[in-house]
Amino acid sequence: MTELLRDSYRYRELIWALAVKELTIRYKRSILGFLWALLNPMLLMLVLTVVFSKILVGAQPHYAVFLLSMLLPWTFFSQSLSYAAESIVGNADLIKKVRVAKLVFPVAAVVSNMINLLLSFIPLILIVLATRHPFYWTWLYLPVPLAALVILTLGATFFFAAANVYYRDIAHILQIVLQIWFYVTPIIYSLDLIPAKYRVFFKLNPIIYVLNGFRLGVYYGMLPTLESVIASFICAFVALYVGFRIFRRYQDEFVFYV
Amino acid sequence: MNDASVAIRVENVTQRFRVIHERSDTVRELFAKFMRKRVSYHDFEAVSGVSFDVRKGEIVGLIGRNGSGKSTLLKMIAGVYRPTSGTVTVTGSLAPLIELGAGMHHELTGRENILLNGLLMGYSKDTMMEREQRIIEFADIGDFIDVPVKQYSSGMYMRLAFAVATEIDPDVLVVDEILAVGDFAFQQKCIDRLRNFRAAGKTIILVSHDLGQIEQQCDRAILLDRGKVLVDGSPTEAIHAYMGVAAGEEPVLVETPSPRA
Repeated sequence: MTELLRDSYRYRELIWALAVKELTIRYKRSILGFLWALLNPMLLMLVLTVVFSKILVGAQPHYAVFLLSMLLPWTFFSQSLSYAAESIVGNADLIKKVRVAKLVFPVAAVVSNMINLLLSFIPLILIVLATRHPFYWTWLYLPVPLAALVILTLGATFFFAAANVYYRDIAHILQIVLQIWFYVTPIIYSLDLIPAKYRVFFKLNPIIYVLNGFRLGVYYGMLPTLESVIASFICAFVALYVGFRIFRRYQDEFVFYV
Repeated sequence: MNDASVAIRVENVTQRFRVIHERSDTVRELFAKFMRKRVSYHDFEAVSGVSFDVRKGEIVGLIGRNGSGKSTLLKMIAGVYRPTSGTVTVTGSLAPLIELGAGMHHELTGRENILLNGLLMGYSKDTMMEREQRIIEFADIGDFIDVPVKQYSSGMYMRLAFAVATEIDPDVLVVDEILAVGDFAFQQKCIDRLRNFRAAGKTIILVSHDLGQIEQQCDRAILLDRGKVLVDGSPTEAIHAYMGVAAGEEPVLVETPSPRA
């Protein structure tokens, strides 16, 4: 773990350059450039708002805020994973020819998506203003679930980056897993809609503790219970510990398999 | 390692690869393992039991047929591969790339690539900013420096790559086919630079199939064959032996090896 911190600090400039490179390449050739990072959640929100608040009756008031408060962090999580799964394999040419610390690639994938996440909070703020949803002081609490989210995501990215080197099917399986995971996590709906007897199954889902902090702070103006904060950090650190251990165990062999 | 004049010490180094027949990178392999079916493979030593020292300020040429283990050896010296057994000790800083332009990204401009390459090789942003101007001058590709690298001609690409690799000023430079491209004038520039490098007490390991180049530029040459050192001596001697080996037998062609045993 200290190794992770030490190396991330040591290679901070490289990680940052790789993350910026990722974003530059993603947006450079498009006319709207970085605006896409803002437009995407806006358009998605528009679609989902129409579907859920106008067509399906009985949805949450200010559904857009309800939804985006959790959808944005979820998007960060799922995009980071998709990127990271390819981060070692996709840099095969580099890894085969240059001696470079392998961890910079998954970390850079997370950093570039984090820049995206922070940018996507701008449309969220605009939507809160537009819907006249109250601005709760609990926004100030958001760095806490953000920290848990980043730690959890890093752990998962290390695992998938390493696993995909050995079995290329992992990247495809990951996409299916993420889709299912998205629907079994109360993101587009509220956990209250689930009959009480099934709720216990939903609570086994580790990411809900992390994501819940965002929704409580932005939509409900509440703070999570101490238990749920602790649960979120336990999940996050376990994921990071396991993910990084696996990554570190195999990193010197990646070059033979990519 | 008490000899201060040694820049690279290669001690009894072996790299073994596992060549999987009908290899598939898929879950099928996993199933095969579960079902206790044997995945068919053979182990193969690309480099076996190689030892030599390179003194500071030496230019050493590495020659041998395709598949003789030159690139594998180079990758172990550069730190890209960890040897299966044996040790490689490098004193001083080393440009950890075995091919010019390895760290280039095609969508980025030349200028952006200078920074990214430097960072990949372990230099700081400040260092790279400081050296950027000299790299641009040496590469001498004009306004193309702010154009994405994918639009470069291969000559321009190599000029920039060579400029980056040598201007960052490593103590040890390890390169595969360094002088293969570039026009006559640029080749002369490169050769001058290599001479300056040596004059400054720096060490170069060069892999080339251009035997004339090896004879002219190197102080010493090592002939590898089937992963072993056949000759370690003067370039003339090594080249002579190489001619014999090359004429005598079929070349050993090996598919790109993958997993290691």
